[in-house]
Amino acid sequence: MEDNVILDVKDLVLYYSTLRGTVKAVDGISFELKQGETLAIVGESGSGKSSTAQAIVRILPRNVAKYTGSIIFNGADIMKLDDEEFRKKVRVGGISMVFQGAMNSLNPVMRVEDQVAEPLLINMSYSKKEALTESIKALKLVGLSEMVGKRYPHELSGGMKQRVLIAMSLVTKPKVIILDEPTSALDVISQANIMNLLKKLKAEMKFSYIFITHDLGLASEIADRVAVMYAGKIIELGSSESVYLTPKHPYTQLLLNSVPTLRENRPPTSIPGEPPDLVNPPKGCSFHPRCPFAIKGKCDVEEPDIIEIRDGHQVKCWLFEGEKG
Amino acid sequence: MSSGDNIVVLENVKVYFPIRKIFSVVGYVRAVDGVSLTIKKGEVLALVGESGSGKTTLGKAIIGLVRPTDGKIFFDGVNICELSEKELKQLRRRVGVIFQDPFSSLNPGFTIFRSVEEPLVVNKIGNKQERRERVLKALSDVKLNPPDFFASKYPHMLSGGQRQRAAIARAIISNPDFIVADEPVTMLDASIRVEILRLLREIQHKYGLTILYITHDMATAKYFADRIAIMYAGKIVELGPSRSVLENPHHPYTQSLIEAIPDPDPANRFRLREVILGEPPSLINPPQGCRFYPRCRFFMKGKCDVLEPPLYRSANERLVACYLYETGMSETNRPKHE
Repeated sequence: MEDNVILDVKDLVLYYSTLRGTVKAVDGISFELKQGETLAIVGESGSGKSSTAQAIVRILPRNVAKYTGSIIFNGADIMKLDDEEFRKKVRVGGISMVFQGAMNSLNPVMRVEDQVAEPLLINMSYSKKEALTESIKALKLVGLSEMVGKRYPHELSGGMKQRVLIAMSLVTKPKVIILDEPTSALDVISQANIMNLLKKLKAEMKFSYIFITHDLGLASEIADRVAVMYAGKIIELGSSESVYLTPKHPYTQLLLNSVPTLRENRPPTSIPGEPPDLVNPPKGCSFHPRCPFAIKGKCDVEEPDIIEIRDGHQVKCWLFEGEKG
Repeated sequence: MSSGDNIVVLENVKVYFPIRKIFSVVGYVRAVDGVSLTIKKGEVLALVGESGSGKTTLGKAIIGLVRPTDGKIFFDGVNICELSEKELKQLRRRVGVIFQDPFSSLNPGFTIFRSVEEPLVVNKIGNKQERRERVLKALSDVKLNPPDFFASKYPHMLSGGQRQRAAIARAIISNPDFIVADEPVTMLDASIRVEILRLLREIQHKYGLTILYITHDMATAKYFADRIAIMYAGKIVELGPSRSVLENPHHPYTQSLIEAIPDPDPANRFRLREVILGEPPSLINPPQGCRFYPRCRFFMKGKCDVLEPPLYRSANERLVACYLYETGMSETNRPKHE
């Protein structure tokens, strides 16, 4: 079991300092990613899901106030590496990332194949010819023809650009690919195309993904396991089956009920209140002001620990205190 | 043209945007290309389409923000294409608009009070005291309680959901008959979306409003709209009661759209979706005949690529622009959506 864990994140903390105070974007989260598995991190805006990704690949803004925890990747704690080692060991062929809306950041005056080859030339000292061969291979893997490689970004559609970005992320043969809302700028049909591609790559190439999204429906397209984030913390984590079919945390239940479904007839319901302020999160459980099951004198005082209730299904809620197993 | 039960009637509306090169027009972008549609009084009609399908342009044309190139737009029996700017301004009092982005649609330098009051000031409605009462009432209608507390706030002090509520208050302040809501919840989080849509629905019932709900999100349209119109490349391809259309889509394009949208279900990851190939056509040189035929799996050569299909009645209250539903076509040959 233990040996196929490729990424082991423990007590990861990332705070930003702002004029208003310290923003606790990621507040002590722990999870594992196994080889060939997809973990979806779902949450609403401001829940800390993108910050988690940035913390893992160490792409941080300047106003970081606190950045601690351990990230075991390939048997070593990459939090201990200095920036140069981190670049060599993690960014090149280790963990790559596809950013949200990044299709607009392709270089407009550079051929697609050259852009995809760039990481190989700069970081892995390939010759120009080898790099181009690899680049064309990667483009073919994402379903783009050799001809597309000769084109410039403005000649491509949104879906094709997103494929180019995925090709770019896998050209260095990384062990883990982090996808941060990779389809949020696309129409539904292009989105379905990209999800099909990710599923195929996962089945054929055994890629390990961390898939970050706010869309529970989309997450279920690829996730083997799901982590639900709220106010910088993971409040529920488990296999897709357990989280989607038997959600435990009241927030997960309410969030699933708020999704309008096309195939079933179940009018969606809303979650009362507003997401919490991350500068001054509520005392105790950060969801208690919106929670229909909040226990007065308990949930608003003390924060629950995340506990495993069964088969790797973890939940951070006082209601399950007695079910620890 | 009598209006009767319809508040908006569109007859073959076309909106073309010229493409200019130096001094000559070299072509047109046919954003809306021959749309006929009626919106009934008191209903919520969802206009659904992918980006670039012309749904926003059509919404703008209905409230007179864009002049159509051709066709007629009747608002409560009046052809707005023939009105002068001044008459249009009179008419716009009866119309409210809600935009997608509550972060940019409210002036950051105005208090919520001033933003919501603005339509009354522009249209010179009421005196200062009356306006104040109306603003506070609108704020309490959208559940920004207590209203005088929120009235004194600036947009940056509010959350996204609260800002969108303020935008709704502004849209209903002049007691309009008709509201165009262009992607009103797209920027909001899932947990807030339903609440805002419910609120719109509540206000619609309370004041007997008609709402045109422009969106790309079929699932919210299913629960929020009475009828749904699906747009593709500047045309309406399917129209009908929203549940009926989404549960049993007739047009091959609608079927592909629905197939592409995942509901939360852990079994999704074990199957690939059937996705149609290609991209929506160019609006400058759209294909002859049906605009969807290059991507359609039921394409009939010599038919679909020759003449544009009109809207056929495929079932009770259901219209679909597809030759598969031409009269005489037997029920059994119709494509079934799984």
